[in-house]
Amino acid sequence: MVWALSSIGRVFIEFLASTGRLTLFLATCFVQGLQPPYYFRQMLRQFWEIGYLSLPVVGLTAFFTGMVLALQSYTGFSRFNAEGAIASVVALSMTRELGPVLAGLMISGRIGGAMAAEIGTMRVTEQLDALITLSTNPQKYLIAPRLLAGVTMLPLLVLVADVIGIFGGYIVSVYRLDFNPAIYTKQTFDFIQMGDVTSGLIKAAFFGFIITSMGCYHGFNSKGGAQGVGRATTYAVVSSSILILVANYFLTALLF
Amino acid sequence: MTKKMTSKFILQDIYKRFGDKSVLEGVDLNVFTGESLVIIGGSGTGKSVLLKCLLGLIPVDRGSIEMDEREITQETLLQHEERLQDIGVMFQGSALFDSLKVWENVAFRLINAQHMDRKRAKEIALEKLAAVGLTEKVGELSPAEISGGMQRRVALARAIATQPHVLFFDEPTSGLDPIFSSVINELIRNCVKELGATAITITHDMSSARRIGDRIAMLYGGKIIWCGKAEDIDNCDNPYVQQFIHGQAKGPIQLETDARHVA
Repeated sequence: MVWALSSIGRVFIEFLASTGRLTLFLATCFVQGLQPPYYFRQMLRQFWEIGYLSLPVVGLTAFFTGMVLALQSYTGFSRFNAEGAIASVVALSMTRELGPVLAGLMISGRIGGAMAAEIGTMRVTEQLDALITLSTNPQKYLIAPRLLAGVTMLPLLVLVADVIGIFGGYIVSVYRLDFNPAIYTKQTFDFIQMGDVTSGLIKAAFFGFIITSMGCYHGFNSKGGAQGVGRATTYAVVSSSILILVANYFLTALLF
Repeated sequence: MTKKMTSKFILQDIYKRFGDKSVLEGVDLNVFTGESLVIIGGSGTGKSVLLKCLLGLIPVDRGSIEMDEREITQETLLQHEERLQDIGVMFQGSALFDSLKVWENVAFRLINAQHMDRKRAKEIALEKLAAVGLTEKVGELSPAEISGGMQRRVALARAIATQPHVLFFDEPTSGLDPIFSSVINELIRNCVKELGATAITITHDMSSARRIGDRIAMLYGGKIIWCGKAEDIDNCDNPYVQQFIHGQAKGPIQLETDARHVA
């Protein structure tokens, strides 16, 4: 009994310690990031990496998700003669839920893992030490631009994903399920509200923060050579994916 | 007193441990301004840890480090950043930034810390690359596209780019063939002389130590067990030093059988 309680206690204390370390790390990055000099080249590079280069993967995911959503909705709704609701279901599902969550999970794999691997490699090859000796704060130079890019680029990517996903649903509904294009388009825009889109974009900004902070934190604190970098990459992807799903529930409850 | 006035670094009773692994156990060392000191010692004796303590990258557990008569173990982040502006470091594995071109690596501090115009910084970087025998064409490549020997030269060019008064070299010739090692040793010797800098080099390569150093100190068992002029090392009567410099398997230095020491 005592053994079980002490084990639980150890896990809990380690959880609190990890949370504290992460909070301190992010607070330092935030404070450092606000102070000049600002590394605009680094920021632009991160905007490009996270935003532009993630477009294909996010676009493809959203497109096929929209198509599947239309097909699945048709299968269910046709049993109740409610096919007319498909357009609004696709639009609402994409903007409120699937756009941000799927984009977040895809970006977590693509960007979170890459960040942890890149920064982790810099750690084990002494490049982070080299940055310090070259009078450059690594948290200001490496981490702050990534956090900023994550928070700003994810909403833009989700906006694109929403449009592509709705378009995917339109393609299937019109060309496979023989919906009238004009009616389908009208139904899409009749039911969608600005709040549906903005709630998805707010979620996306949080997810962007989660992905980049997990990738940077685990990479920055990696140790032990190639194995350590591999471990950091795994932790970054797994922790950000889980946190996205958990945060999604709470944000949905908050924004619903 | 006179010695203290001319000391660049004074280390007193430095202790450092990682968990239950004790690495430094009372290091005392005096580094004089303008000299080239080489710290030798076997793998895992804590040479790199000592160097990182001097740079302020690792905090010491106990003891005092003075640089220019100022205690540096308790310095603030701002003081640390200011102090590093006059220090150049060449890391063991070069530690060049993969995402930047060779010339951008050399000009890194000029652009990012001194906010120099990129065009002027590039000119200086190319001058420094030329000083270590690399062409303008190499400057446009990425670090991954050049050989290990060339990477060391780039790392040296980066260390001297802002003409610092203190230089640190961590295993500058490890992994290089004898000819490249000789080239790097000569470059380091010339750069240190031209800058009139105080240089501290960590190595276990004895030919490199003799070539670069004015004085040599040997680290063993977490302490400096011998320190003297480079030309005196062959005649010293310390059995540990004699075993090390002659590379003998038998002697008082025992190969590690546990994990007491770390690199």
